[in-house]
Amino acid sequence: MTTHDATRPLNGIRVADFSWFGAGPIAGRTLADFGADVIRVESEARVDGLRRGEPQKPGVGGYNASSFFNNFNAAKRSLLLNMSTEGARDVALRLVERSDIFLSNLTPRVIERWGLTYEQLCEVKPDIIAAYQPMQGLWGPHRDFLGFGAVLTPTTGLSHLTGDPERRPVGVGTNYPDYAINPGHTVIAILAALRHRRRTGQGQQIELAQVESVAATMGPLLLDYTANGVNQTRQGNRSSWMCPHGIYRCLDDQAGRERWIAIAIGSDAQWESLRALAEGSDLAMDERFGTMLGRRRNEDALNASLSAWTASLDAAALAESLQSAGVPASLVQDAEDIVDHDEHLAERGHYRYLDHPETGRSLYDGPTVQLHGTPGRLDAPAPLFGQHTLEVATEVLGYSESEVAELTAAGVFS
Amino acid sequence: MVPTALDGVRVLDLTSEMGWYAGKLLADLGADVIKVEPFGGDPARGRAPFWRGIPGRETSLRFWYFNTNKRSVTVDLQQYDGRWLFQQLVATADIVLESWTAEERAELIDLGVDPDEFLREQPSLVWTSITGFGLDGPRAGWTVTDIVAQAAAGIAHLAGYPDGSPMRIAGNQAYIVAGISAAQGALLALLQAEASGDGQRVETSVQEALSICQDTSHLFWDFQRISRQRIGEQLRMPGAGTYETADGYIYSLVGLSGFGAPWSTLIDWMESEGAAGELAEPQHREAMAATDLRSLRNPRINFEWPPIFHRAQELLVDFYRSKTSLECYEQGQSRRLLIGMVASPQDLAESAHLSERQWWLELDQPTTLGQPDAALTLPGPPYRLSATPTEIRRPAPRIGEHNQEVWVDELGIPAEDLIAFAGERAI
Repeated sequence: MTTHDATRPLNGIRVADFSWFGAGPIAGRTLADFGADVIRVESEARVDGLRRGEPQKPGVGGYNASSFFNNFNAAKRSLLLNMSTEGARDVALRLVERSDIFLSNLTPRVIERWGLTYEQLCEVKPDIIAAYQPMQGLWGPHRDFLGFGAVLTPTTGLSHLTGDPERRPVGVGTNYPDYAINPGHTVIAILAALRHRRRTGQGQQIELAQVESVAATMGPLLLDYTANGVNQTRQGNRSSWMCPHGIYRCLDDQAGRERWIAIAIGSDAQWESLRALAEGSDLAMDERFGTMLGRRRNEDALNASLSAWTASLDAAALAESLQSAGVPASLVQDAEDIVDHDEHLAERGHYRYLDHPETGRSLYDGPTVQLHGTPGRLDAPAPLFGQHTLEVATEVLGYSESEVAELTAAGVFS
Repeated sequence: MVPTALDGVRVLDLTSEMGWYAGKLLADLGADVIKVEPFGGDPARGRAPFWRGIPGRETSLRFWYFNTNKRSVTVDLQQYDGRWLFQQLVATADIVLESWTAEERAELIDLGVDPDEFLREQPSLVWTSITGFGLDGPRAGWTVTDIVAQAAAGIAHLAGYPDGSPMRIAGNQAYIVAGISAAQGALLALLQAEASGDGQRVETSVQEALSICQDTSHLFWDFQRISRQRIGEQLRMPGAGTYETADGYIYSLVGLSGFGAPWSTLIDWMESEGAAGELAEPQHREAMAATDLRSLRNPRINFEWPPIFHRAQELLVDFYRSKTSLECYEQGQSRRLLIGMVASPQDLAESAHLSERQWWLELDQPTTLGQPDAALTLPGPPYRLSATPTEIRRPAPRIGEHNQEVWVDELGIPAEDLIAFAGERAI
């Protein structure tokens, strides 16, 4: 079981985690990293899609082999509870009564069907902090619209604004808002609410409408429209003030893998540093590029000339040289680079490898933030499906073993 | 008066643009966030977009948005007097936020502005550093910008057209995620400090905070030694991808089992408008309904479309193109089909849903001295707390707007001393 100690900020806090997929469980994962006892409520009748998602550990099968699920659920406990059975709601409320935080990213329809609205939770636990993450909010004309990160990316402006201006919107290639923005905002609201509860004894409801949470990050772009009537669109990799600013092709590696470098130059001094490295090239000799104004006015020519220079260079080595000269730059890392070859992340111990009973030694993302005095820890790998049902039912919920057997036979713990 | 969650918490915000959002999140939750700016103001005050397109240090919409509810003092940490003033201010603070570069950090520590020293003097202090790559490790000295962080974190590789370059996600997302990470860390440490009396250093590495946004890419590498590539806007079956409409684009994700209504619902919708063609025939309907995007998603499988997929795609392209993006979005979602419109800022501003939810906020923002205020319609908060709602209590500050209020009225520094500090340009 999860261990607790006084050296983490959320020691003694229990989370009834009714969320699934990405945005909810990742919020719960951060709470667990920093000491909370997070109980994931799962059911055979409604298996978290990520348990069956890719990537699976080859040759394992079942519900426990997905790294997509496991990564977001380290050090939690898994309780099976089938909410469509009679008696399940009483068990759920008993868990809420013994918890500090309720977490859910279910649709409002399901919350109402299961009888887990904030008002209903308050009947058993008046000071509960209930965090809901519905896609569009708990109310409003689009309340029942469905989605997750893949749909939020277009609906919040990210797709319209990302990509080449001459081409179709390309999206961002991932379910981006699910991983940091929505879980991170949720954790911030929960921590603020915890502080308020400590000082006043009062709990509250947190409503994080995922569309609002993502749109809030687009503030300046939205303001340009509401204040100036300017409806911005895609601008490729260019910046409104840095130049050159972009991602440039370098020499393919020996295996034929495309290699790219990101370079962002915000001052003439940084430009001079790059120019010194490019000595003798057409890029370095072109007088038009000597000032920020000149570079901006000739940005197409500059990018062509810069690409011609980088094309014959090793991206990682060039990034090292540029950074040593004070120029912001990085290899565009792919998964192989970041997991196997990023010596910096390795030395910092960012990725954690935990032994999981079915998948073996597996990679987990490190905590989102480093606290030097009370560091986040991954005490255990993700729970097996239903692994802690008996433990939670007896130790947390206070059922006797015979009651557990009855509820199990009735399909409640399933 | 409605209480705020962070009543009584004082935050000193010394950040560059990379940390602005962290301070805004804390300020909007009720903390007293004081921007500590160098002489002449935060250099990033001059970033586009600008109010009415007029460039300036007091007209940046970017600055305004990310600095609501903050106060501003100026202090020159290069000067002895400036550092003395800063020490007086730190003594009143619970949290310090900064995002110094490695070079700035080394220089300031040499001058005696040393986080460890402050923590020794004031053990309950939470000192939060936002850095590109972290405070230690071989790349601790590297300089970061948004696009550089997105490249280093593995997300730029996944974004963009398969035949083009990796793409930066819009909206300075690396800075956003850095701010979210730092605010989480600062609040975790604040809870710990308030309970135990022990403060600490908090450290956000932008690369690390952003790297979880790789989705499953790093996990595929760990489990299967597959390196995910950019796939662009097209997914692997009809109904899944970006489609043109009468006036723009939508993203459609139909055929992913477990998410929304299946392909048969889409065929019903098309049929009701006479647009389903032969898809309405039972064998095609069944074939489409039985295909699961999930089973086609493994990057190892080189999947070829059967003829019915090509026909379904043709019919669907015409169907979506016969409607506006908003019609596709609302009519599709009312059938529980997973469709999102590719919304522009204007679309969000005109969203009936957001306006009914009263998400947008009205704010009078002072501009250059002597000019009338800008009446702003400001994007709203990321969350709604029922007992301690976020609120915009004051607009973003002018440079040094609160020098008198903070130094004289609150810290009790005699006004004549402040005049002397100003003369020496310490403030």
